[in-house]
Amino acid sequence: MSDTLQKEEQIKASINAAFRSAKVSIQRKGRIIVEFRGGILPAFASYLKEYLNFKHLSMISGVDWPEDNQFELVYHLWSYEQSIHVMVKVRLDREAAKTKTLTPLWEHAETYEREIHEMLGVEFEGHPNMRDFILEDWDDLPPMRRDFMTREYVDEVYEWRKGREDAQDVRQTIAEQYNTEVPNFNNEDK
Amino acid sequence: MKNIKGALVPFSALKYLGKKPHTVRYPFEKKKTAERYRGFHFNEIEVCIGCGTCSTICQNEAIDMIKIEGVEPGRGDSGLRPRIDNGRCCWCGLCVDMCPTGSLSLTDQYLHTSPDPDSYLLIPGVDNPEMKENISFTKSDTEPLLQFDRVPMRELDGAERVKSFAEVVLGYMQEEARAEATRCVDCGLCVTACPDHMHIPEYIGAIAEADDAKALKYIYDNNPLPEMCGKVCTRQCETVCAIGHLGEPIAIRWLKRYATEQFPDPAAILNPKIAEPNGKKVGIVGGGPAGLSAGYYLALRGFDVNIYEALPRMGGMTFAGIPKYRFPLDSLDKQIDYMKKVGVKMHNNVRVGKDITFDKIRNDNDAVFIGIGFHVPYTLGLTGEDLENSIQAIDFLRRVNIGETVDVGKKVVVIGGGNVAIDAARVSRRLGAEVTILYRRRVEDMPADWEEIEGAEDEGVHIVPQGIPLEIIGENGKVKSIKYGMAEMVPDDKGGRPRPKLIEGDEHILEVDTVIGAIGQEADYSFLPKEIMDELKIERGRVVVNELKQTSIPDIFAGGDNVNRTMDAISAIADGVRAVEGISHYLLDE
Ligand SMILES: Cc1cc2nc3c(=O)[nH]c(=O)nc-3n(C[C@H](O)[C@H](O)[C@H](O)COP(=O)(O)OP(=O)(O)OC[C@H]3O[C@@H](n4cnc5c(N)ncnc54)[C@H](O)[C@@H]3O)c2cc1C
Ligand code: SF4
Ligand code: SF4
Repeated sequence: MSDTLQKEEQIKASINAAFRSAKVSIQRKGRIIVEFRGGILPAFASYLKEYLNFKHLSMISGVDWPEDNQFELVYHLWSYEQSIHVMVKVRLDREAAKTKTLTPLWEHAETYEREIHEMLGVEFEGHPNMRDFILEDWDDLPPMRRDFMTREYVDEVYEWRKGREDAQDVRQTIAEQYNTEVPNFNNEDK
Repeated sequence: MKNIKGALVPFSALKYLGKKPHTVRYPFEKKKTAERYRGFHFNEIEVCIGCGTCSTICQNEAIDMIKIEGVEPGRGDSGLRPRIDNGRCCWCGLCVDMCPTGSLSLTDQYLHTSPDPDSYLLIPGVDNPEMKENISFTKSDTEPLLQFDRVPMRELDGAERVKSFAEVVLGYMQEEARAEATRCVDCGLCVTACPDHMHIPEYIGAIAEADDAKALKYIYDNNPLPEMCGKVCTRQCETVCAIGHLGEPIAIRWLKRYATEQFPDPAAILNPKIAEPNGKKVGIVGGGPAGLSAGYYLALRGFDVNIYEALPRMGGMTFAGIPKYRFPLDSLDKQIDYMKKVGVKMHNNVRVGKDITFDKIRNDNDAVFIGIGFHVPYTLGLTGEDLENSIQAIDFLRRVNIGETVDVGKKVVVIGGGNVAIDAARVSRRLGAEVTILYRRRVEDMPADWEEIEGAEDEGVHIVPQGIPLEIIGENGKVKSIKYGMAEMVPDDKGGRPRPKLIEGDEHILEVDTVIGAIGQEADYSFLPKEIMDELKIERGRVVVNELKQTSIPDIFAGGDNVNRTMDAISAIADGVRAVEGISHYLLDE
């Protein structure tokens, strides 16, 4: 196997030599994951782009990890020459989620960053054009945060189509079929 | 060679003739959609169980569960089916990925425009049966969102088990219970199969939320012997679990066991509210699960309750029948003690009909409940059955459970294929004997729980299926051996299950010290005076009762093995619980 992963191993070694804090793992042939500190992301991205030839930024995605009180940004970079996909993952403090923009390296990062700003509420320092993305006049929690209650929002905002009034609760239906009542111990003092 | 290209142009255009055009064609031709395209829903109505998981998961509130003509509720089916509001659906496909039966899918059909808002409501599978041919997005096999594997239960190893009567199943640890509880989709279909209709999704939800005390409250709401059920219940609920359709059902029984075992004294958590005495008295004959359950909830409602039990302890067959490695005494005691705290008065070693008359109990009380179980064994009807050391499983188990020393010798044969036979076999192993089970039909026909059969085999019990006992052979009045013949399975003329038929001449003799019969029991009504027997409606050995467990004599109620056909602890408990309604209704007009 080792010869088939040669290119990946080389890239891993180069990254490790240049950035000691980067945690590099080879997920499979053609796919490398780098976990990295948020702070010096532009420097690291520029190194990948200029020295290791990851010329293309395919996209940026964001993940909410409320259990760790963090957001995770995933930068997907692609090297045409080597056909290798690198995912650079950085974690940001969820309370003060802020990182530097990558627009100086890739102009089109502008759109991805605007989307993530709107959906998760991450700030991108130095972003040239942080307007609304697809939501208009949104003043609620950013909707892709996991503590955003989609169903509550939907309930409040959207009308209920006529003809849906006959909807039944499955649990209640079953209880009634057997003439039983489900007690409620939820709000009892413990 | 100047402008030759121009001369070739007409020919080069020819090559496009065979290609498909990219422009829109008339009449309109639809293009093939992507392989896992997500269009309109389709639902296999017969496979769907109406669990409502699709509706629960949909973040757009696009799914309603509704009643549909022709779909009837039943065991494991709510009778409801999903309806989609296509004006809301965003085709995320979560509903499909979460559907526990795999009945729901999305099709490659997506075109719909109409000025009529109602036309956006679609009952998949009912309104669009033709789309069955167009299914494209189905549940992912590789990355299931549901957790199909059960958290395994730790057990003592077979060789270790036969050395003592130590409890075999070790129970979940906290982390294990939480993990198992989170697999539940909270649909409640299990409730349809539980004879007692316990509040299963509620207590599993509480365990998942790390609130074991709340779980205990839901459990005790209609089952006062839950630790027992947590250990030995026949768990009908698990047979209809939604997750069980494609994976392993939630370990409902083990979760109940977990919750009850967290608290040494249920009273401290439940803090039961006991109603003021209402002046009415109820006498209960038989301290099995049926009598105890009736007694507990009657006492909570302010009735004055006395239970009369012939054996030295309460518990009925769960004390005298079920072996201690499945249901230890301290666990039984804990549950009985709690009932005493609530005010149930218990009288052990009192056989009604002998130590006290039934008439006295009836005269002293406003109502009577009969929960005497089935304690008289059927005999095998074999020559040699009256030999010494030819015994009955329930007598044998009772003696062992009461603490008598029983000598079964070195070799035992047990006749029968139910749970009682397996229990007798496994107990004999623990007394040091080599054990053979002789059963008329095939192993797969055995009425015993498969886990019990496996447990017996792990402990070295030898099972001879399709073996029919012919004669017990004795020497000096004692059992010496048993003669049995092998049978072949022949189809039943009346369309029933295949029947065993003796193979001529294929007879065997097995040297044994003890023969244990375990082919069933019946009730002993001899304690009832003649006038009562004349009036009390009994059919095929069982007392006939109405919905509220009232017999043909208005002040006499009955429940448990001597009433129901399911003959397990939870059915007896359910009968007891229902009888409380019946008795309250009868005496208090409630
Ligand atoms: C060996 C064995 C194993 C079993 N294993 C399981 C199992 O794993 N899971 C499960 O769910 N069920 C099991 N069962 C069945 C279960 O124990 C019974 O269904 C349940 O106990 C029935 O409860 P009951 O209250 O109707 O009757 P019983 O439990 O039989 O109780 C009736 C009581 O009434 C007493 N009694 C009878 N006549 C009189 C009288 N005249 N005066 C005073 N008292 C009297 C009896 O002594 C007895 O204690 C098992 C049964 C046996 C025999
Ligand atoms: S596809 Fe998504 S939005 Fe549509 S009904 Fe299913 S869960 Fe709801
Ligand atoms: S989740 Fe599946 S089985 Fe359950 S109601 Fe919906 S379609 Fe039916």
